[in-house]
Amino acid sequence: MDTQWETYEVFHQSRRGDAHVHVGSVHAPDPQMALQLARDQFARRLSCVSLWVVRTSDITATDYQDPDFFARVTDKSYRDPKAFDAPDKLHFE
Amino acid sequence: MSLTIPSHIPLEHFKRFVLSMADDELVLGHRDSEWTGHAPILEEDIAFSNIAQDEIGHALVWYTMYMELGGPSPDEMGFLREWKDFRCCHFVTYPRGDFAYTVVRQYLFDVAEQVRLQGLLSSSVDALRSVAEKLLREESYHLLHSQGLVERLGDATPESHERMQRAVTEAFPQALGIFEELEGESFLVEAGAFVGNAALRSDWLKEVVPVLHKASLQAPVQLEAENVKVLVSPHEGGRRGQHLEYLKQLVDDMQQVYRLAPQSQW
Repeated sequence: MDTQWETYEVFHQSRRGDAHVHVGSVHAPDPQMALQLARDQFARRLSCVSLWVVRTSDITATDYQDPDFFARVTDKSYRDPKAFDAPDKLHFE
Repeated sequence: MSLTIPSHIPLEHFKRFVLSMADDELVLGHRDSEWTGHAPILEEDIAFSNIAQDEIGHALVWYTMYMELGGPSPDEMGFLREWKDFRCCHFVTYPRGDFAYTVVRQYLFDVAEQVRLQGLLSSSVDALRSVAEKLLREESYHLLHSQGLVERLGDATPESHERMQRAVTEAFPQALGIFEELEGESFLVEAGAFVGNAALRSDWLKEVVPVLHKASLQAPVQLEAENVKVLVSPHEGGRRGQHLEYLKQLVDDMQQVYRLAPQSQW
């Protein structure tokens, strides 16, 4: 019998308004325990206001074996935002 | 002495109470730290190391209060005291056992902490109220963690059930020793400083028995209408300094490095 717990991917937010950032994963028996364990792994040193956990098996991902998924066959440089600086964050007065 | 308590509370008995709280936290924190690098799951290894640091941090809060009442420094209390002078209950001194025992002990202790600190929120002594408020913020998460494991492991697989049940049978009478009456306790109860161990024990039973039961684990008790009748005798003696050899081994281990050079600055 496989007694290994499933993995959950952990997303960490350091301040309200910031994006949740993927920081790693934890083994856990269910989502509630995953949050508990994620707190001990990822939130005890970094400042943290929110954690998300997502069952790894619930993530649908692209395949590295299929690079054409992202290919640009013709010149599409006109799509690149080169004419202006896009800041990471928006500032409000 | 930088902390004063109301004059009608005998200082000696008050200090004994503070010491019993401090020693429980330090000794259990040390036992929890013994899982660092050895727990069955990496995540639990880190969780228990974290809990160990929290418990030892709580011990420091209580030892600091003890010092402010005229006692020695926290370092002297932890690292230079004879094992016979500790006032922890036997329960926290037993070896860490297997992980089932550790989980059950932590759960039974966390509930005791919860009812003790909740009780202190209405203490007549300001210092006790503010310490309780502060420590409850962390203790509530210890309880969430240990209760979460008890609920899940109680009936997860036949092996987990069997090991958890064995741990409950072993730990329950030990845990009752947390509530051993302290010498002079009645003075503190009368002064409203603390609700008393008999009341805490009854609150504790009302909380743990149903949770264990829901996790398919049997506590050695009989339910009679509103009352929970305990069928085993508590492991007492720790509050009077009558300790088991386990504490001696733990204290030797804990004090070994400090005693090599007590004057060093860390």
